[in-house]
Amino acid sequence: MAETSVLPNPLREGIRMRRTPDACAMVIFGASGDLTERKLLPALYYLARERLLPGGFSIIGCSRTPYSNDQFREKMRQAIVTHLNLDNGNDPILESFCKNVYYLTDNFGDPKAYSQLVDLINRLDQEGKTSGNRLFYLATPPSFFPVIVKHLGSAGLAKPKDPDKTWTRVVLEKPFGRDLESARQLNRTVTRVFHEDQVYRIDHYLGKETVQNLLVFRFANGIFEPIWNRRYIDHVQIAVAETLGVENRGSYYEESGLLRDMIQNHVLQLLSLVAMEPPASFDAKAVRDEKAKVLRALRPIPMEQVNDFTVRAQYAKGFAEGKEVPGYRSEPNVSPKSVTETFAALKLSLDNWRWADVPFYLRSGKRLAKRVSEITIQFRRVPHLLFQGAVTDSIEPNVMAVRIQPDEGISLRFSAKVPGTTPQIRPVKMDFRYGEAFGASPPTAYETLLLDCMLGDNTLFNRDDAVELSWELVTPILDRWKQDGEKGLASYEAGSWGPVEADAFIERDGRAWRRL
Amino acid sequence: MLTLESLAGGESQEVKISELESKLAQLGRSKMKENQGAEATVTRAASLTLVVLVETPEAAQEVSEQICAISEQNPCRAVVLVAQPEAKPAALRAWISVHFNQPSSASAKRLCAEQILVEARGDAVNDLGNVVLPLTLSGLPVHFWWRAARFDPPDYFRQVFRLTSRVLVDSARFLHPEPDLLELAGHVKRQSAQFSFLDLNWSRITPWRELISQCFDRPETRGYLDRLERVRIEYESESPRLAAQGVQALLIAGWLAGRLKWQPGARPSRKQNSTSSFYLRSAHGEVEVQRVARRFEGAGKGVCFWITLEGGGDPPASFKLDRGCDGRSVVTRAEILGRPLVTRTVRLEVLDEAQLVNEELQISGRDPIFEESLSIVARCLQT
Repeated sequence: MAETSVLPNPLREGIRMRRTPDACAMVIFGASGDLTERKLLPALYYLARERLLPGGFSIIGCSRTPYSNDQFREKMRQAIVTHLNLDNGNDPILESFCKNVYYLTDNFGDPKAYSQLVDLINRLDQEGKTSGNRLFYLATPPSFFPVIVKHLGSAGLAKPKDPDKTWTRVVLEKPFGRDLESARQLNRTVTRVFHEDQVYRIDHYLGKETVQNLLVFRFANGIFEPIWNRRYIDHVQIAVAETLGVENRGSYYEESGLLRDMIQNHVLQLLSLVAMEPPASFDAKAVRDEKAKVLRALRPIPMEQVNDFTVRAQYAKGFAEGKEVPGYRSEPNVSPKSVTETFAALKLSLDNWRWADVPFYLRSGKRLAKRVSEITIQFRRVPHLLFQGAVTDSIEPNVMAVRIQPDEGISLRFSAKVPGTTPQIRPVKMDFRYGEAFGASPPTAYETLLLDCMLGDNTLFNRDDAVELSWELVTPILDRWKQDGEKGLASYEAGSWGPVEADAFIERDGRAWRRL
Repeated sequence: MLTLESLAGGESQEVKISELESKLAQLGRSKMKENQGAEATVTRAASLTLVVLVETPEAAQEVSEQICAISEQNPCRAVVLVAQPEAKPAALRAWISVHFNQPSSASAKRLCAEQILVEARGDAVNDLGNVVLPLTLSGLPVHFWWRAARFDPPDYFRQVFRLTSRVLVDSARFLHPEPDLLELAGHVKRQSAQFSFLDLNWSRITPWRELISQCFDRPETRGYLDRLERVRIEYESESPRLAAQGVQALLIAGWLAGRLKWQPGARPSRKQNSTSSFYLRSAHGEVEVQRVARRFEGAGKGVCFWITLEGGGDPPASFKLDRGCDGRSVVTRAEILGRPLVTRTVRLEVLDEAQLVNEELQISGRDPIFEESLSIVARCLQT
């Protein structure tokens, strides 16, 4: 379906003009939930305050909890004040923003609620508070996706009001499926109602500034691309470590586990950005095509070899974030016999020319020693140790580290001579930090992604094929782990860097995890 | 009276012109050593050389205070030049200092900027250019912030301009706004191939331009852009920012005219009481642009600024952007006769000078829309 726009606005030309989307109604399903309060409304308010939303922008919250418009407005107003640390006094911008917030009680399965939604959107259109464009945001548990999508279709809300002048889009929060089959089924359900171009599968990791900068770093600098291949790179590590445990998400986590929660989406997305070929242009299709090619090139791990290429573990009690913390099995809503993994390490290979024989080591876990996400490119060692007299056993290989959070930045480790008469060589680090170089804080991931979605730019959103390809890789691992149950599930102390089995796993290849 | 000795007190030290670079390196090293505690990492960072011209010691003090804020977003070496050609006796003196800041995200302290203050009195101003040349950082762009009441660079800066990538002026500082704008437009026309020009006052109106643009993004309002008949820009008649706001109004008018292909000189401009009008020709007829300096209840700080755009046709429409005395937010109203009023409130604060410089330094290259707008303003002022 072609996206359309009105006649170009000549006032918008020029290097300083920021993009602002068309007037639209944003309908949030699951509006009484945590995500809406903590992330969506604060991000939308911020965009409105910074003049990045158009006049004629309205929000309609839909959820099962009954609220009046005024009650919901007040709840959202409080949420924005709390999460953005605003002064709770008179803020004309916040008051103006909240005036355009509406609420409908909806159990998601009742056709009448969708008729009411149609009436409300039409009324807002007529009152000039929207302009025929619609954005549906599904912030509900995924089990509601099919029924909401189906009813949107039946109510005639999935098609643009005027295909030549208006647009309709739907945003789906992760997790998108729980295995290959359920992801395929969900894709089929969604694309029976919406065209794939209308579907925005959100992964907030991709909205982070450093993740986006990966593309700029790789493709706007001439010096990196020539060495970004098997000839110069020994291996790649991607780490996403959290200090938090499962908190109050025990029930969810029991069903999900680390592999589904982090690796299938965030970590594989990072991998695809690191490994992709240069796209022909920076448009969404070209970028997403190249990312999908990477996922397609991932060598499948057959069920019988899963234990050779993976490590899984669960945190035991320990000391994290300055206090004693319980083990996973003692967390609320977690089975005392749970075999759900809270840590995973994988070794993946890409079967293509650029990356043949370059292993990608992925690791992610909860209750680790530090909250850090980092991509490490370790280059090959020099072929010959020229400095035989140097006081060193070997020269450390060059390492480029892309820090995603916290302290976003890029560092390069290289060797230098220690000043003095003795020929000593020592590794030193060259550091670039976003906070230092640019000062200004980048927008949050949700601000970036919500704006992109309203602007019709789906570069940073997952496409159906990418989702299915990542499940293709992950599903046999899940199946094998399920089959093995307790067998092969390692344990690690909360607050540590994971199980010793993970260290042995990489040391087997003569390598080591980077100290984070 | 403020003297540069008092300004240079505290962390600054006076050095000989010939020793500026070596003393600065020495000072940097000693400061880094002082701050190299167990937990503190001190790093040097610079992305440009910022040369600043000021006319008085008071202005030098203001700039010195801003350099740190600028350096947080644009790490730089700042060379502040105080040119006083009328002062006696002729003398050339210099002071150096380093600025630290505390990054919000890490515990590390860092050396973020070096500042060199050079005072030239009497005939010594002729040496300023040669003082600056060796102080620019190699491989990095040179930006020249011309913080003076008029842009009319003397010949002794010729060699510095050869190295300069960009000149920042602030038309809000112009003593005689209209003739000085005309003069600036002449310089831009002649020299924009050599380096780019940016005006901080243009930066002040960027959010206003965004808001005006947004009025015409919607399909139902886009058509009015071609049928605008009157633009009225109102600002405070009694405030220290009167001249600045007057120039902003001119630049907005120039921008609209340039973008919408309005031609100046439809008929002679007119001035009646506090309202100046000039007339432009659009494809649909005549457009009147009014600049109105008037009293606002409770005002006085020069933050009140109202813009009204009226479009003809059936039904007629008006678009209003009003910033009141709070100086923080703008209420926008789009009113098409017979349809519901669409209104909202957005943030639009008056940015301070350091914020504006920071914004400008992050933009690379020329701004052809500014150049076009300024050129049209010049043509309007000549009608």
